[in-house]
Amino acid sequence: MNVNRTFRFIVARDHIMRGVFLFCAVFSIFALGCIIVFLFASGLPFIGKIGPGNFFGTEWNLHTGAYGILSMIVASLYVTALSTLFGITIGLFTAISLYRFCPPRAVAFIRQLINLLAGIPSVIYGLFGLIIIVPFLRDTISPSGVGYGILAASFVLSVMILPTIVSVSLDALNAVPKNYYEGSLALGATKEQTVFKVMLPAAKSGVFAAVVLSIGRAIGETMAVILVIGNSPVMPTSLFQSVRTLTANIALGALELSGDALTALISTGVMLFVFTLLLNISFSLLMGGEKRGKKRAAKPAS
Amino acid sequence: MKRHVLIASLLVLLALAFTACTETKDFDTTKNISIVAREDGSGTKTAFMELIGLKDKADPANVIIQNGTAGVLSEVRGNPTAVAYESLGYVTSDVKTLKVEGVEATAANIKSGSYKISRPLSVVYLESVLDTEANKAFYTYLQSSDAQKIIADEGYVSVTDNAPAYAANSALTGAVEISGSTSLQPLMIKLASAFEKLQANVKVTVSGGGSGTGYKNANEGVSTFGMISEEFNLSKAPECTHYVVCKDGIAVIVNEKNPLDNISMDQLKNIYDVEAGANSITKWDGIIK
Repeated sequence: MNVNRTFRFIVARDHIMRGVFLFCAVFSIFALGCIIVFLFASGLPFIGKIGPGNFFGTEWNLHTGAYGILSMIVASLYVTALSTLFGITIGLFTAISLYRFCPPRAVAFIRQLINLLAGIPSVIYGLFGLIIIVPFLRDTISPSGVGYGILAASFVLSVMILPTIVSVSLDALNAVPKNYYEGSLALGATKEQTVFKVMLPAAKSGVFAAVVLSIGRAIGETMAVILVIGNSPVMPTSLFQSVRTLTANIALGALELSGDALTALISTGVMLFVFTLLLNISFSLLMGGEKRGKKRAAKPAS
Repeated sequence: MKRHVLIASLLVLLALAFTACTETKDFDTTKNISIVAREDGSGTKTAFMELIGLKDKADPANVIIQNGTAGVLSEVRGNPTAVAYESLGYVTSDVKTLKVEGVEATAANIKSGSYKISRPLSVVYLESVLDTEANKAFYTYLQSSDAQKIIADEGYVSVTDNAPAYAANSALTGAVEISGSTSLQPLMIKLASAFEKLQANVKVTVSGGGSGTGYKNANEGVSTFGMISEEFNLSKAPECTHYVVCKDGIAVIVNEKNPLDNISMDQLKNIYDVEAGANSITKWDGIIK
């Protein structure tokens, strides 16, 4: 009797705990579902209502009901492309130098510092850009006398994405089997030739992963960008010109606007979500393709 | 050897930093005007654009948008070619306030109406919030002579004459939440802390966000009072009513290095008008001859 009760208690407890764990497991899916429903349920009908021609137009004026976000899409893409370019260039070379061309003690120290860079809140990056980079660009290289713009934002963002690029591509390099390295040296290649022509191609997929991750970070960054890009909703024609990104558009008005204008911001969010989705899909395709490729390459040998 | 390189590069960096800091240039009138504006939803922006005759128009193409009063001020402070509009009560002495049509932006000129660019600063609220004692007390305080004195001392224009003194009620407790326009915010903070001295057990919290936030928070009951810095627009807060706290000028400000002293309404309009076409003023030599 007593044993029976204990047994039932244990069974009940198992059931309850299973439910708790299941809830935890589906919670993130639930959250994602909610966000998607929220975005699309209010965003898509609005795009339909004002017409895609208006929504993908170039004019943004809340007073006249013009909600064109094309200029912001273009600005977002410019900023993302340029910052990824800067970030990849610097980050990849940093990773390479940390991989084989640095004394080991320095490597640990520098990695620590780079990771610290990742921990700085984005608003601090924005402030730094606003107070140092924007006036510097304005007073030195800007032909129009404007420091705000795509270049300032790209500088700030490229520093922000450095940690991602460095650590992901350094891990990828480290994951390449050591015998590739030794084999290449044994065949008479120099250290430099080995790293650039053997190790780097072997770590290709990791480097791509770094690129995609940093694109994701760059396109979604808001606070750092808002402070240094100027926020004028016009089509970018120069690197030194006040423009507005999709994220900045949402953040600028979210607290203050209501009605149609607020819905327009949600539709902007839909656009941003679509970009992120495309990015994630291309990332998984890339990774999946890589794995399949490896399997295929491994088959004839076995 | 390596250490030398390191030291040398550090020195170069330092030198760069110093030249960047100490560089002083004369004002270059051939440079483009850096037009500074506020975000959509800002009361200062709505009021300013309306007052210079550009109601509901978009910003000019290369405008730099700052989302807050402090951001505008810091931009003008740091950027020699900037021009901006800003709540007069918020302007500090390290930027230059222009005369408009030869009239200085002072409280007296705003009250007399000779300074053209001014607007009311108001609070919006749901009628029902006044049912709460503490809220009602703060509302009464805003209309008192105590408040009018602070308003005048801070450089704003009092619109309530012969106001009665505020009678404190020591038994009163409660909390008042205020949010909205960053133009009214600094004055409201002063008023709130003076009120808290009279009513030690009532806590008044003032936060910013912009006029749009003020309308929204008051209408949804998030805040007791929402602050706005434009003519009350019922469609933005349909449930609410409003009270004009004071009048405030909108100052036209430029960097201290700028030699300009006076600007006409037409010139202002041609700077901020996106559709000015051939009349558009984009460089300082369009005004400074």
